[in-house]
Amino acid sequence: MDCLQLERANSSNYSNLGPTLVNMNKVVTSPFARGSLDALPLFIPAIPFAFVFGVVVANAGIPGWLGWSSSPIIFGGAIQVTLFTLLGEGASVAAAVSAALIVGARHLFYSLTLAPRFQDQPGWFRWVGSYVLIDQVFVLSQIKPIEEPQTFRRYFLAAGFTFWTLWMMFTALGVILGPAIPASWGVEFAAPVLFISLMMAASNRKDKLAAAALAMGIALAFSHLPHRTGILLAVAISVTVMLVARRWSS
Amino acid sequence: MIAAAIILTGIGTYAMRAFFIFALARYTFPPLMLRALEYVAPTVMAALVISMMTNTRGELTASWAEALGLVAAAVVAKFTGNHIFALLAGMGTFWVIRWII
Repeated sequence: MDCLQLERANSSNYSNLGPTLVNMNKVVTSPFARGSLDALPLFIPAIPFAFVFGVVVANAGIPGWLGWSSSPIIFGGAIQVTLFTLLGEGASVAAAVSAALIVGARHLFYSLTLAPRFQDQPGWFRWVGSYVLIDQVFVLSQIKPIEEPQTFRRYFLAAGFTFWTLWMMFTALGVILGPAIPASWGVEFAAPVLFISLMMAASNRKDKLAAAALAMGIALAFSHLPHRTGILLAVAISVTVMLVARRWSS
Repeated sequence: MIAAAIILTGIGTYAMRAFFIFALARYTFPPLMLRALEYVAPTVMAALVISMMTNTRGELTASWAEALGLVAAAVVAKFTGNHIFALLAGMGTFWVIRWII
């Protein structure tokens, strides 16, 4: 029953995409608009995070404008926060930069996963698309598998740069206002809530859901490892286990 | 020094995002690898949730409020496929349980 419902939900997703995204002459919604609209709700949990970022920059004793410059230069919330937290604690540049990059190492998985989709794209899009390849944009591209290259490109860029524009604005506000949202509200919890919602959307098959559950267990077992390296191990191990299991069952 | 750290991290982050997109631009992906890549999105999201719910010593920081909030969000996401509804359900459950306890 569960499986059937998932299958049906999955196929209805595909048929929804058809008229909206492929047959653009007949429908008002363009892939640009769709990408922007899909990115908007995903930005909500990033708002408290932007204010946390502002506090971290202030605590590190870094001028606001310099801290904010990391938003366009790095464009990665967790990476930016890690970098300034460690610099604020007096870590060396080499130590802070390498820790921040290890925290962001999951982007290598995104790059690998999207590499086949970027093969039929023009060169400029490889350069520009890579710049906005963040967690949320990656998952959106996986939840909505768009076949047509131009539609994919427009959707991807719209989602990416909608998120980018909002992140620039809200990290600026975060740097200026600092702790504008009382910590006691617990709004930071919106981030894991969104990610579990994205996890469910990305798990449109029973085996993908099993992979996600397995990854949770492995991530928990390795959660004591520094710089979130447990995430990398959880992905690598659970993907391997799922492949072996699929081989066995077929 | 701070500026150098920001620029180096920016270059490194961009390089990680672009690496395979450029390195494998002409590579023919074997079917087994394409199948493996289908699991990346769900497993990364799952691992991210856990990393946000644990501290640096590897201890769970989630109480009942967080745990049930995540369950509520997962259930609503599965049946509605709407992230706003999932967010409302997750945060609502979290706030209500925290207020009760």
